[in-house]
Amino acid sequence: MVSLASYLIISLILFVVGLVVMIARKNIVAILLGIELILNAAALNFVAYSRYATNNLDGHIFSLFIIVVAAAEAAVGLAIVIRFFQIKETIHIDEATQLRN
Amino acid sequence: MQYTVGSIAPIFLSPVIAFVINAFFGRKLPRNGDWLAVLSIFISFVFSARIFGDFFFGQFATDYYIHKTFTWFDLSAGTHVFKVDMGIYLDNMSSIMLLMVSGVAFLIHLFSTWYMDHDERHGRFFVFLPLFTSAMLGLVLSDNLFSLFLFWEIMGFCSYSLIGIYYEKEKAGDASLKAFMTTRVGDVFLLLGIVAIWMVVGSVNYVDIYAAIAQGKFDGPAVLGISFATFTALCIFAGAMGKSAQFPLHVWLPDAMMGPTPGSALIHAATMVTAGVWVSLRMYPLMVLGDITWFIAVIGAITAFGAATIAMVQTDIKAVLAYSTLSQLGYMMIGVGVGSYNAAFMHVITHAFFKACLFLSAGSIIHSVHEQEMPKLGGLKKYLPYTHFAMMCCTLAIAGIPFFSGFVSKDRILGDALYFGFMAGQNPLLAIVPILGFAGAGLTAFYMFRMMFLTFYGENRTHDSHGHGHGHKDDHGHHGHGHEIHHEHLDFRSNVPLLILAVFTLGFWFAGNVVGQNFGNVFGGKNEWFKILVEAPKVEKFVDRPKQAFSSVDTKGEIVLPHAHYHHQSGYAGPNPDEHKLHTAHVIGAWLSIFIAFSGVFIAFLMYIKKSVKPLAEKFPGITEMLKAKYNFDHFYIDILIKKGLLGLNRFLAWLDMGIYDRYVIDGMAAVNRVLFKASKWFDNVVIDAIGVDGTGVTVNLFNLVLRIVQSGKIQFYFIMLVMVLASYIWTLNI
Repeated sequence: MVSLASYLIISLILFVVGLVVMIARKNIVAILLGIELILNAAALNFVAYSRYATNNLDGHIFSLFIIVVAAAEAAVGLAIVIRFFQIKETIHIDEATQLRN
Repeated sequence: MQYTVGSIAPIFLSPVIAFVINAFFGRKLPRNGDWLAVLSIFISFVFSARIFGDFFFGQFATDYYIHKTFTWFDLSAGTHVFKVDMGIYLDNMSSIMLLMVSGVAFLIHLFSTWYMDHDERHGRFFVFLPLFTSAMLGLVLSDNLFSLFLFWEIMGFCSYSLIGIYYEKEKAGDASLKAFMTTRVGDVFLLLGIVAIWMVVGSVNYVDIYAAIAQGKFDGPAVLGISFATFTALCIFAGAMGKSAQFPLHVWLPDAMMGPTPGSALIHAATMVTAGVWVSLRMYPLMVLGDITWFIAVIGAITAFGAATIAMVQTDIKAVLAYSTLSQLGYMMIGVGVGSYNAAFMHVITHAFFKACLFLSAGSIIHSVHEQEMPKLGGLKKYLPYTHFAMMCCTLAIAGIPFFSGFVSKDRILGDALYFGFMAGQNPLLAIVPILGFAGAGLTAFYMFRMMFLTFYGENRTHDSHGHGHGHKDDHGHHGHGHEIHHEHLDFRSNVPLLILAVFTLGFWFAGNVVGQNFGNVFGGKNEWFKILVEAPKVEKFVDRPKQAFSSVDTKGEIVLPHAHYHHQSGYAGPNPDEHKLHTAHVIGAWLSIFIAFSGVFIAFLMYIKKSVKPLAEKFPGITEMLKAKYNFDHFYIDILIKKGLLGLNRFLAWLDMGIYDRYVIDGMAAVNRVLFKASKWFDNVVIDAIGVDGTGVTVNLFNLVLRIVQSGKIQFYFIMLVMVLASYIWTLNI
């Protein structure tokens, strides 16, 4: 029997890894991957709690929404990255400074 | 038979559509769209004929009416009601009037397509003609004084445009201005009257006004020492005086002949001038309540007689007809004044037919001969046989010869006037009404036959005018050349309208018997339809009548109303104790006017055919001069009233305005403003600009210095900030 804690630990690991990737990497694609990890950590939490705490389908539905949102966000984000690469010929995050000043 | 808005509104709307199309696209259409105008009036005529047929054969009761209203706008707030309704009011009288207006206007339009052919203003003429007709039809259809006033003003504008259509001629321009200004004097009073009615009734609906009269709402406070009803009735009648060219305001109508002849025909016969009589008839209960009918009768009598005297000395064929219109309008007003309601209205109808025909005949003469001065005409009978026939019928009608329509209507009016003046126990001074009326009738016969004899008989004088004829320009825009007169051939557009109109100069169409006056009934008096259909509105019947919605349907079968009966043997049925006296008055009046009419014709015959009596001008040169000067009314109005009176007032007001008001008030305001301007300039520069605007900038800059550090633009720095803030929340919560 797998306990709730193990789910939460996996989810925590995913969250922290995603956060670190998001902050530490300078590659925009890697940052997007980090965000996906964080979203998945949240989805995992929802499913785990719906199984162990409330025992209904609310969490499942919520995690489905999260997957949809994540897919949409990935599509938009990657489109932005492609346009950014076409303009700057790099995907280094620190080059995205057109709005400064 | 069902009546919806769709079966009534096309009468008014089809000429409006023709007007709009001709106004904007007329030049692109073949023949400038004159066929469209004719067609639109024909559509009106068809719809009017259907309504007339229903009212005529349906034998509705005389007080049956169709009244459909809708709310135009509603500004009521709380208990204060301010609501303006518009709608359609259709009764026996309007059905007759609609048929007359659309029928006569149709024939005039048809004639105009021939008359205005190849004229430089052809297109412009056919823009205003349908608008004019539609305004009159709308006026007849309208159910309240306000929309009546709107159409009234549209007609004023149209007459202005038609009179001044050859605006490059100075006389035409002056005449159009004069027509507009003179009728405006009346219009101001009419508007005042409408406002006064609105004040006591709270509505300007005919039905509401009649109900208010019955309920005694007009017994209110006196205005300027006269009762409220009298004041209102006088105001309404002053409007009618302006439009129908009654005595003090008559000066515009004779000048209105400066326009093209068919336009004059429309103004004089079917539309403009009958509007004044129409409103007097519609507001007849108010006139009776205000007790001004004697005043109307006197004004009418003065107009009828005075205009007839002036017409005797005119040499321009159209001027004679213009003054005869004035005179006949006077008879209509006498009819209103002496209480012969349906005879007055019958005279509107009969006059419309014969006067339209007379003007169109004059147009036919002018178009053929290019001359309108009678001394230069003469002997035209063999050249223009059809015009001669039509014009002779109409002349017989207007002169009051038995068997013709003028005799029927005019002599009913005169019979009632005779009763009113001598037998009704009125003020003996009012005997002037029948005396002037009969004298005017004799003069009418004289001057009309003078015109006929000078134009169609005797030797032809058109070639005498070679010398000075060249500089002359008639109203048709052609120079008189004194060239060969064309023989007239029967033409669909030029002669047929005249002949159709001439048919309706016969009396029995209107009287139902051959002679009129109940002599020689053909069908046992059964067809006295005019007397049965038209009677003065009985105001009590209008109290608490429900209003119909605009979209409602009138179905003849479902309306339970007493039907009129066509078997009155006597036309004067009713509880009238003086019926016998009235009948006597009518018999005397009829024989008297037959005698007077024939003697007028005879004198004209002696003077202008046999030449055994000298013409008037040689016998009484002094009087002739006075008559030629038209009793100096123009001189009085322009030189004395306007130049001496109004101009002095104007100068005084100008001094007040420029000397006092401009110098002290306007310049003083300027000085005060200058000081205020300086103060506000300082306030603007120092307080607003320096402190307000620049101060805001400096403050924002200060914040900027701090915020710029945080807003680095590096997204991962933001992420770290985010995590730190979240962590600080957790740290705070734990404590």
